[in-house]
Amino acid sequence: MNTSTHGKGRVSSVCAWLSVAALITLGFTFPAFAALGGDVSSIQADQAHMKASLKTTVSHAYTLHEIKTPSGNIVREYVSSDGRVFGVAWHGPSMPPMQQILGTYFQQFSTGAQAQHAAHVGRRPLNIQQPGLVVQSSGHPRGFVGRAYVPGMLPAGVTENEIR
Amino acid sequence: MSKFLTVVVVGTLAFLVGCGGGSGTPKGVPTGGNGTNVQPIAVDGGPVPNQIYPDGAFTSVTLCNPGTTTCQTIDGILVDTGSVGLRVLSSAITLTGLQPLTSGSNTLYNCINFADTSFLWGTVSVADVQMAGEVASGATIQVVPDPATLGFTIPIDCSNGGVDESSQVNLGANGILGIGAEPEDCGPACDPNFDNGVPPNPSPYFLCSSTTCTPTSVLSFASGQSQQVLNPVVLFSTDNNGTIVQLPALPGQAATETGSLIFGIGTQANNQVPSSAKIFALDPSIGDTFTTTYKGQVLTGSFIDSGSNGLFFPDATIPACVDIPDFFCPASILSLSALNTETTSVTGATSTVNFSIDNADNLFAGGGGADAAYSTLGGPNTGGPFDFGLPFFYGRSVFTAIDGAAVPSNTPTAPWVAY
Repeated sequence: MNTSTHGKGRVSSVCAWLSVAALITLGFTFPAFAALGGDVSSIQADQAHMKASLKTTVSHAYTLHEIKTPSGNIVREYVSSDGRVFGVAWHGPSMPPMQQILGTYFQQFSTGAQAQHAAHVGRRPLNIQQPGLVVQSSGHPRGFVGRAYVPGMLPAGVTENEIR
Repeated sequence: MSKFLTVVVVGTLAFLVGCGGGSGTPKGVPTGGNGTNVQPIAVDGGPVPNQIYPDGAFTSVTLCNPGTTTCQTIDGILVDTGSVGLRVLSSAITLTGLQPLTSGSNTLYNCINFADTSFLWGTVSVADVQMAGEVASGATIQVVPDPATLGFTIPIDCSNGGVDESSQVNLGANGILGIGAEPEDCGPACDPNFDNGVPPNPSPYFLCSSTTCTPTSVLSFASGQSQQVLNPVVLFSTDNNGTIVQLPALPGQAATETGSLIFGIGTQANNQVPSSAKIFALDPSIGDTFTTTYKGQVLTGSFIDSGSNGLFFPDATIPACVDIPDFFCPASILSLSALNTETTSVTGATSTVNFSIDNADNLFAGGGGADAAYSTLGGPNTGGPFDFGLPFFYGRSVFTAIDGAAVPSNTPTAPWVAY
């Protein structure tokens, strides 16, 4: 299993071990992954879909799963203590597979992208800011960066600035 | 599985021939040719009737059936230093002799996604491309058809939920001239030698039958016979190591602005790098970006991009426009400053960039709503890097040196950007 767990300075070692224990208890034989808003225990599809490696880091209020593809694309999924993915961030040469990482939020994102494009001609970052979904995408081909999160799902004490 | 593709016309890869065995850094810039290397560009609102495309620099490109003098000049092509490859809408092409690359009964298709999640899907076709006195013979370009003519649905790996820009009104142009810092749009990651021939996921290249598309690897420029969509500049016989985009200074806004796209760096009297220029080496592994420090924020992944039609950067203190929240609408014009440095230091260049941001609603309404050029147009890039779009180019000559190209000996290994 290609995971590593690093305890951050702010995390008590007890908390770190409890999180690791929770992951093991759920019986993963290889790293788990999920779409935005999804349950981390429900799918391990993202890593398989992207044929990527996985690194897991436990932080003060969430677990961070980072997958990296051979071509250098990185997707980070931020999972709250109750196992929900509240944020996704990416960077790399390609755009990430949006249906895969946004899950049930994919259609809302797509509608928002059409609306922004229709509002004014030109090429500029994507900036969807709705109460139930934020999607920001910028950069240029071979150097993209972006994130998506559900504002109401951010754990207490976590700001959107940590999703990057 | 064999990935051999038939190339209809083999182009002259003079650039690679001049570089020898391929090991080490090519130095020694070829002498310039005797044709003109200056292509006019215009910030003129673009080719779409009744639509002003703000801060887009447009030019014309001449396409010819390969090896013939049967040609067509197409205007309204967006000059884009942030992407790579010449991409032309099929609806703008009257030539009938451009053939796509094929493998058996399958056709090679290419997808490009942009940061706003819009995309272009089209065939990899071969054309002779002429601009000014330069010719790219047998160049692979993307020809973008009306999706209704395809006979299959564009793969979701390409469409990815974004806007299909295959029409002139959606694209705002007849095509895009991608002249970024790389010779081709994907690079080594798409080559059959990479990752045991497994294409990247999502893949930019597909082989499609009449009904089905399958991701595929394609030979990269390093192999000597690229099947990727190329930066046409690298196929010029001279003046092929980069470009300069110049626009005159613009204190506020104007109906139009005209400037120049100059081919070659250090190859002719008109494309020398001035000693005062700041040169920023770019790292392909981080998307050819640099670092911008703005209001205490250290923004890695920053870049200069003529294809972005504004200055886009994170600043929560500047209000966004209520009607178009992708642009800034401060109460009055703001004088701001940013500091650029390399992300990995090579030249050690540092550059303070002073710029202004004005109220976009007022800008668009100014000039009777008919202006195309704005030096103070910007918008939020929350959580993102600093995107120095077209306003950065007013009053500057911006050099882009192409990865792998021979550059002047007093400049670093390409890729790099300088101004």
